[in-house]
Amino acid sequence: MIRLYHVHKTYGKRDALHDVNLHVQKGDFVYVTGPSGAGKTTLLKMLYGAVSPTSGKLLVGGVDASKLSQKQLPFLRRNLGVVFQDFKLIPNRTVADNVGLALEVLGMPREDIWRRARAVLNTVGLRGREDAYPMDLSGGEQQRVAVARAIVNDPAILLADEPTGNLDGAMAVEVMEILLAVNLRGTTVMVATHDTGLMNRFPNRKLRFESGRLVSS
Amino acid sequence: MQTTSSHILRRSLRSLWENLSLNGMVAGVIAAALLLAGAYLQVLINLDRMMGTWDRDVHVSAYFYSDVPEDRRFSIKDDLAKLQEVDDILYISETEAGAYLVDKVPDVKPILDEFGPEVLPASLEISLREAFTTPAEIESFVSRIEGFDFEDIDYGQEWVQRFESFVSLIQTLGVVIGLLIVTAAIFLVANTMHLVVYARRAELETMKLVGATFAFVSAPFLLEGAILGILGASIATVGMLAIHHLLFLRLETYLQLAIGNETLVFLPLGAILALFLIGMLLGMAGCLTAVRRFWKAAS
Repeated sequence: MIRLYHVHKTYGKRDALHDVNLHVQKGDFVYVTGPSGAGKTTLLKMLYGAVSPTSGKLLVGGVDASKLSQKQLPFLRRNLGVVFQDFKLIPNRTVADNVGLALEVLGMPREDIWRRARAVLNTVGLRGREDAYPMDLSGGEQQRVAVARAIVNDPAILLADEPTGNLDGAMAVEVMEILLAVNLRGTTVMVATHDTGLMNRFPNRKLRFESGRLVSS
Repeated sequence: MQTTSSHILRRSLRSLWENLSLNGMVAGVIAAALLLAGAYLQVLINLDRMMGTWDRDVHVSAYFYSDVPEDRRFSIKDDLAKLQEVDDILYISETEAGAYLVDKVPDVKPILDEFGPEVLPASLEISLREAFTTPAEIESFVSRIEGFDFEDIDYGQEWVQRFESFVSLIQTLGVVIGLLIVTAAIFLVANTMHLVVYARRAELETMKLVGATFAFVSAPFLLEGAILGILGASIATVGMLAIHHLLFLRLETYLQLAIGNETLVFLPLGAILALFLIGMLLGMAGCLTAVRRFWKAAS
């Protein structure tokens, strides 16, 4: 599902990723771990096309993401679900509108968007909060809205960048359980985190990065 | 298709509503640009009409030597009336010329009284047919009648030609000024719209990250630009109507000598529709420039 061949990424003279080779199979649940600045976020950004590799080859769902043009990129992103570290919720849109955004860009009818958004919000435990605004929600609730938006289009791959970083223990467990449930339905899940407690509680394959190098997988 | 249309319409109207003051500025910039262009166009159209009137109504004044007997003058008048170029011909005696001058400029009466009623020369006022009013044909006509007993022939065409050159220069300048106005307006609209885009950057960036295409994101902005263009053109049209009634029509009295019985006209419907179209294109171009600038910068 995800393959990297000798991928390098440099920012100026600094190596963000150095000769990374890895293979994640369909339906896998993997953690991307390592200290701050290890290259976790760069790897995820590369997978959803926000940054391009300096060299190397990157296959996402069979598509060579390193060679996609700006016009082709949206079609890759439509097959992905991304939970951003800073949530990226739109403050002046309701929770349902935020979740429905991923379907709106597909040109889905408004009624269908509303129905799907409600169902997904129900899954993440936010039933009845459809008309609330992000600012009215707690950090944990905002995180769950971000997860709901990432899974509303049934993506083949779900990428989550520090999805529990702003949450307390109980909330973090709730979010992890949602991600595991998504994975059980066949979605490949890649979670960037440095929360060892969670990784121990929900053991799965770990990709450990240090200074841009993949040191264990 | 219906889904896409309703998405575009919904987002456009929402953005218009949520950024009222900025959108008002955009409409104002478009209105100002179109008002300038429209007023300029109106002046040009009226100058052109004025010249058309002069061209249609070309008069040649031929002044007799004072010693030409009156029966000879009438004989010349009859000969000239037979020429194909001549539409109408009128003999004006010395006395009639003096009376005409006193009627127009009463202050000269004492001078005329002193020199006698026949101080002004008798003349023939010749109107040419419309088909013979080009500068070359007038010149040819004048050279043909020079052999008669005329001391001087005046046809004022040289002045008309100079004025035509002046109007032509204004028209050329108009194109240059028009292009400058359009470029400045696109720049101003794009920069103001950039503020609208910036206010919605979080939404647009997220849309891009979840797979929106450029067309999907820019279409509502294009509609927004078109609506603002129509609004700007409407404001400009109202402004031009106000200028026409409050300024141009008042000038008509002072321009009576130049325009004769003609009236100063407002822009024709075609020109107004063209201004609306330009307004829409201005708005759309400005919005597109702003969104494109943002799109390239976003991740």
